[in-house]
Amino acid sequence: MEAEYIATFYTHYDAIVFSRQLKAAGVESQLMPVPRALSSSCGTCARFRCAKADIARFSLTGTEQLVRVTADGYEMIRDNRHS
Amino acid sequence: MNSKKALFSAGAVIGLIAVALVWFGNPQNMGFCIACFIRDIAGAVGVHRAEAVQYIRPEIIGLVLGALLMALAGKEFQPRGGSAPMTRFILGVAVMIAALVFLGCPLRMVLRIAGGDLNAVVGLVGFIAGIAVGVVFLKRGYSLKRTYQMPTLDGLWLSAVQIALLVLLVAAPAFIFFSESGPGSMHAPLLLALAAGLIVGGLAQKTRLCMVGGIRDVILFKDWTLLMGFLGILVVALIGNIALHYFKVGFIGQPIAHVDGVWNFLSMTAVGLGSVMLGGCPLRQLILSGEGNADSAVTVVGYFVGAAIAHNFGLASAATAVAEDGTLSGGPSAAGKVATVIILVVLVIIAVANSKRQETVKEG
Repeated sequence: MEAEYIATFYTHYDAIVFSRQLKAAGVESQLMPVPRALSSSCGTCARFRCAKADIARFSLTGTEQLVRVTADGYEMIRDNRHS
Repeated sequence: MNSKKALFSAGAVIGLIAVALVWFGNPQNMGFCIACFIRDIAGAVGVHRAEAVQYIRPEIIGLVLGALLMALAGKEFQPRGGSAPMTRFILGVAVMIAALVFLGCPLRMVLRIAGGDLNAVVGLVGFIAGIAVGVVFLKRGYSLKRTYQMPTLDGLWLSAVQIALLVLLVAAPAFIFFSESGPGSMHAPLLLALAAGLIVGGLAQKTRLCMVGGIRDVILFKDWTLLMGFLGILVVALIGNIALHYFKVGFIGQPIAHVDGVWNFLSMTAVGLGSVMLGGCPLRQLILSGEGNADSAVTVVGYFVGAAIAHNFGLASAATAVAEDGTLSGGPSAAGKVATVIILVVLVIIAVANSKRQETVKEG
């Protein structure tokens, strides 16, 4: 089943690279400012919709956080902030 | 409250505090100026000897510590660093020198516009142009690479320095310089200015308010959220200036400003471009430093050194003065003009050198 995800990144460039990777896999994404609830940084995030199984296909290099958007907020999938 | 309303409200409070600080003694249209205030601190500790601009500004101390306290309260203090620190230092130097050619940081630019200073409108156009160029580089892969987790102490140094500065301000030992005339001698009472800084620092941490980020996000994502803070400051400071009779529309006779449009434009172009490359305006760098970002702290040190260079080498502009016979004096110096051009060239070189070769990607 498909769900909505948000990936945050260390740099704007990492977000562009991730977005291109999604596009090559046929997944549309929208680059946008990181929601305040996810971070105090004012970087770029990618919002996209795909099946949970598809996440494993993507390289998550450069991602700071990967969350699933839920009805009442965000569910953490991957947290790389302490690296 | 949605994020746009939160940003506008935070901006409104900051605009109100900025006008109040002028009422209580700060120079006009200078309730806050990150560039001017860091320059004043550099003068106070003697790294430049421009006698009119020497004072340890409690607002700066408050901004950093307010952000630190808010970050600690929100469990958002994160000691981070390692993203091209020396390049950030150079960018900090460059942005500060350019800001002192204009005579103000982006925050003061907004406060100057709110006071009716049309020279700052020219600066704003240059600022937007600089940000637009920066966005082109971002789309072409400009990056100073990622940050890494650092030891806690590394994220606390700039805050510790602020406490040391506060001690020096209160103790006022003989080796600290305090202006007896000029802008440096004009200041709100210490506790009031410190409280103002603490409140604005906390608000700016909570909302991520950034003069550069607002315009960058509009150009890059068509997202107006951050710009709401900018607008909140402008609207409330404008109303406050009108109410207190500080508002005066025009180019000539504006407080601590010069009328040379070309250099107002170009210097703020450099500030806009350099700040996009740094990831935020001078206010934002102070706030990020409080949150534990050592790269931003290095940038602030760059501002400090840039201020000293600007005054020691005669790069900072002088405010336009009008003589009784109407002749104008002051404005940018020849050295300041040369420095602005060099800064623009250096910024482009840094941007190109840190850009990856790739196709431009369409955002949004």
